[in-house]
Amino acid sequence: MSSSERLRILGYEPLTESDWETGLHPMDDLLRGERLPHIWCQGCGLGTALSTFVNALQWLEKNQEWDLDKVAVVSGIGCTGRIAGYVRLDSFHTTHGRAIPFATGLKLANPELKVIVLSGDGDLAGIGGNHLIHAARRNLGITVVCVNNFIYGMTGGQVGPTTPHEARSVTSQYGNYEYPFNLPYLAAASGASFVARWTTLHARRLGWTLRDALAYPGFSFVEVIAPCSTAYARWNPDGKGLDPESLRRRGLEIMKHYQEVGRIEHDIHPKDAHIKLNEKGEMAEIVEGEFVKESRPNLQEAIDQRDVWAEKAWQRAKKALDERPDLPAQTEHIPRTEVQLGGFGGQGIMSAGKIIGRAAALYDQLESCFTQSYGPEARGGAAGSQVIIASDSIHHPHLVRPGSMIMMSQGAYSKYIPNLAPGGMLLIDSELVTLPDDHRADITTYGIPATRIAEEAGNNRAANTAMLGFWTAIVGAVSQDAMRQAVIESVPPKTVELNAKVFDIGYERGLET
Amino acid sequence: MPHWRQPLDRDQIQIPLGIVHIIDERCKGCGFCIEFCPQNLFIISERINAKGYHPPEVIPDLDCVNCGLCALLCPDFAIYIEDAGTRSPETISLNPKSEVK
Ligand code: SF4
Ligand code: SF4
Ligand code: SF4
Repeated sequence: MSSSERLRILGYEPLTESDWETGLHPMDDLLRGERLPHIWCQGCGLGTALSTFVNALQWLEKNQEWDLDKVAVVSGIGCTGRIAGYVRLDSFHTTHGRAIPFATGLKLANPELKVIVLSGDGDLAGIGGNHLIHAARRNLGITVVCVNNFIYGMTGGQVGPTTPHEARSVTSQYGNYEYPFNLPYLAAASGASFVARWTTLHARRLGWTLRDALAYPGFSFVEVIAPCSTAYARWNPDGKGLDPESLRRRGLEIMKHYQEVGRIEHDIHPKDAHIKLNEKGEMAEIVEGEFVKESRPNLQEAIDQRDVWAEKAWQRAKKALDERPDLPAQTEHIPRTEVQLGGFGGQGIMSAGKIIGRAAALYDQLESCFTQSYGPEARGGAAGSQVIIASDSIHHPHLVRPGSMIMMSQGAYSKYIPNLAPGGMLLIDSELVTLPDDHRADITTYGIPATRIAEEAGNNRAANTAMLGFWTAIVGAVSQDAMRQAVIESVPPKTVELNAKVFDIGYERGLET
Repeated sequence: MPHWRQPLDRDQIQIPLGIVHIIDERCKGCGFCIEFCPQNLFIISERINAKGYHPPEVIPDLDCVNCGLCALLCPDFAIYIEDAGTRSPETISLNPKSEVK
């Protein structure tokens, strides 16, 4: 069923192509002609910005074989935001300030698309300012055209992030005391790889720049200075203010003013791209041109490069997985078994916990759950890790009443011992933990000199392995083969032999007790 | 325009010509076209459109050189230029009031 048929069944009368095609103007191919004339004020620069944009797209279609079905326009809120509703392209009118996040999603999900954000200064630099700098930082391959009219026009002319210092607006009647953003400088400093500025008077050059910017592989930012004939020009002398003679030509007065004060300077440092006012509050200089053209990999290319590494790492991991021995699964039903491990940082308390989990999950084919807790001291401080093993699903990931504990330092012993279940098993490194006189009588305590065993075998850092062998023999929740295999594949390749030996010693000592 | 010396390639130079089309109902009378046409081809007309604006009209007997600036600048998509070929410089009627901007 075609989409128009579906709409008809739902009771809608879909627009036919001919409803939108007015055929009045050659640009109407890319405009929703039925919505024209647009809502913008007489003399507003937004129309010129849009016609220049449409002109650039038509040129790209004709001369560089662009497929305009693969072009998407996104805009936010404000007078400029209306553009999304006037272009006959895939377009989206987002919430205030969120044009760039929407465009980011579009571009990443479909890298083939040419995504263009067309929005105003308030939307992009004010409400959405954070998104602008981060998209530039990532060098996301989209084009952002920011039409800057120095004011919040749609809401009636409030001061905005680009209103020049000392310029007047509805909310800065005695002159703006804040300082504005220099948008090209902001974009360039954030990492944009193409940065330019033009006024709408220089529509032809703006058009040339747009052709380059739209085709640019990285983040391209074009600021278009446009007259706001209603909200900005009313209060400022460039548009002749409230002078009755000029009331209906404020936009034109500003355009004429651009002709006088525009100064073209390509390739200068964007921090020198000034917009200056004179003492009367008129624009005295607007520096325009193409300031930055830099090539560095855009976000998609950078992702693709990382992908190559990720693929290599995955191949290595996969090989290791494929080479794993097949051990028989645990046949007995293992009830929820909680283990608390404790020691100081650097003893391998975390890895010992993970090894138990790994042995249980991968080789005994049980469920297992691992959590860790570091004291604020990290290395050398108190460290704890918790493991839960069970044949059935583990619904609660935290220890309720651990039945066994492996304690490798005095501090960890004191901290954790109250939690051990009555009748539980405490395993300690007998040389590192001294039992106090009031040691709990309702539990069984086993000790081996794990650190010494490991040291005698050649490396005291294998002490945790000795404790694991000891624990396996005494508690018996995980099978010996599974544990031994998990140790072997978790330790650094050079120490496999040593760890296997230490594990066996620990296991035997466990059987002897 | 009299020349004391003819440019060497004068006989090869051709100036493009255009025919101006104005869509009255879209015009908002901003005056951009009137101000910035390098040929100073437009004046405000007596006509009035549905929104109460006076659209521009073309001064008769002057030639549009098809530079396309008016179509680009017009904020309301109310002007476009139809290509009308080229002509040699002698036969173009330039606006005597137009100056180099
Ligand atoms: S308020 Fe200003 S920016 Fe908005 S449409 Fe009117 S002139 Fe343009
Ligand atoms: S195309 Fe150029 S010369 Fe012709 S009317 Fe427009 S601005 Fe004037
Ligand atoms: S530029 Fe367009 S809207 Fe402005 S006066 Fe000319 S035709 Fe009318």
